[in-house]
Amino acid sequence: MTAASVDTNRRERVTGTSFTRGLGAVTLVGIAWLVLFGLVVTPADVNQGESVRIMYAHVPGAWLAYLAFVVTAISSAMYLFRRTRSLVWDRIAGASAEIGVLFMGISLVTGSLWGRLTWGTFWTWDARLTTTAFLFITYVGYLAVRNLGGTHHQRARRSAVLALLAVLEIPLVHFSVELWNSLHQEASVVGNTDVTMDGLMLFTLFLGVIVFTLMYVWMLMHRQRSLTLQDMVDDIGLDVALAARRAEAGSS
Amino acid sequence: MKDVGFIVASYVITFGSIGVFVSLIVSRARRVSRQIPPEDRPWT
Amino acid sequence: MDLTPRPAPEANVSRRRRKLVPTLVLVLVIGAGAVIVTQFLTSAIDYYCNVDDVGVKDGCDPGRRLRIQGVVDAGSVENDGVVTSFSVSFNGARLPVRYDGEPGGIFKECIPVVVHGVVQNGVFLGDRIEVKHSNEYVADNPDRVDEDVYAAPEDSACSPSV
Repeated sequence: MTAASVDTNRRERVTGTSFTRGLGAVTLVGIAWLVLFGLVVTPADVNQGESVRIMYAHVPGAWLAYLAFVVTAISSAMYLFRRTRSLVWDRIAGASAEIGVLFMGISLVTGSLWGRLTWGTFWTWDARLTTTAFLFITYVGYLAVRNLGGTHHQRARRSAVLALLAVLEIPLVHFSVELWNSLHQEASVVGNTDVTMDGLMLFTLFLGVIVFTLMYVWMLMHRQRSLTLQDMVDDIGLDVALAARRAEAGSS
Repeated sequence: MKDVGFIVASYVITFGSIGVFVSLIVSRARRVSRQIPPEDRPWT
Repeated sequence: MDLTPRPAPEANVSRRRRKLVPTLVLVLVIGAGAVIVTQFLTSAIDYYCNVDDVGVKDGCDPGRRLRIQGVVDAGSVENDGVVTSFSVSFNGARLPVRYDGEPGGIFKECIPVVVHGVVQNGVFLGDRIEVKHSNEYVADNPDRVDEDVYAAPEDSACSPSV
C-alpha cells in the first residue's frame, strides 16, 4: 500500500470515525423504518384521516429542536463557568444550535402543512405558533452572532450569554398551549398522564423520536469536528499573518 | 388517498433538508480539512 | 525547527472583520422578531372566547372582533354555494354562524372549531374558520364504530361515534 492510498483513505473520513459510521448506518435503517411505519403501517386517524402521518415528522422535529437548544445552553454554561474555558464546549453549543434551527424549521414547515389539512390554514397568529416562530428566529440570530467575527473566545463568550437567555423561551413555547387559549392541541405524551393515542401510532411517534435523536447525535459529532477544523485553520491563518508581520519588521 | 401530496411533501421536506444539511457539513469539512494533517485531528 | 513559543492568538485578531452577511441576517432577525411580536399582540386583540362566554365574560362582547370556540352542531351545516351557515355550541350555549365561503381543513359536523369574526344581531359573521382537533389519536378502524371518540356536549345532538 502506498502512502498516497493511505492518504485518500483517510481523506474520505475527514470528520468520521468507526463510531459515527456505525451510527450513520443504524440511523439510515431507522429512517427507512420510520418512513415505512409513518406512511404505510400506521392507521389513519378517525378525525384527521391520513394527515395524521405528518405528526411522525412534526413532533420529533420539535422535540429534538428543544433538546438541541438545551444542549446549546448547557454547553454554553460549561464554557462560561468552568475555569478551563474550553472552546470544545463552545463548538458543541454552536453545532447543536445549527441542528436545532434545522429541526425547528422542519417542524414549522411540516406543522404548517398539517395545519392546512386539519385546521384549514397554513398559519395563524396563535400562541404556540407565534412563540415557536419567535424561538426559531432567536436561534437564527444566535447563529448570526456566532459569525460576527472576533477571536474564538470573543465569539464563545458572546454566544454563550445569548444561548443562556434564549433557552428561557423553551418553557414559554411548551406551556403556551396551556397559558393561552390555543388552536394547537395540547401535548399528547409529555406531561400528560392520560395518553389517548392508538398503540401503533404511539410506537411510531417514539420511533420517530429515536431516529431523530440518532440523526442529531451523528450531525452533532460531525459538525463539532468540522468546526474544530475550521478553528484550527483560522489559527494557522493567524500564525501565517504573524510570521509575515515579523518578516516585514525584520527586513525594514 | 386524500391529502397525499401534502403528506409526501412533508416527508420529502423533512428528510430532504436533513440530507442537504448533512452534505453541507461533509463538504465543508472536506474543504477545510485539506489544511489540517490527519494526525492533528483529535479524534483520529 | 523553530520551537519558540508563539504569542497568544488573542492579542492580534481583534481586527474587527465583522462580516456583512451575519450583520444583515441579524438585522433581518430583529425585524422579523418585531413583526412576530406585533402580529401576536394585534391578533390577541381578537379575544378568544367559548360560545357560552359571549356577552358574559369580559371582552367577549358582541360587536368586537372575537375568536369563538365551539362544536359544530349536528345537522346545522348548510351551504348555498356562497355562504356556509351552521351553529356552534359549547357548554349549553348555541350561536348561529355565517361564513362567506367553504371552510377548509377537516371541517364537518360535531367537531370543535375556532371562528374569527364579529357577533352582529345574534349572528356570528365569521371570516376565518380553523378546525381545532384534539390530542386524541384513534385508529380509523371500521370494525370499531362504537368507541367514544369525541365527548361531544349532550345538547349538540352529536352521537359519540363520528
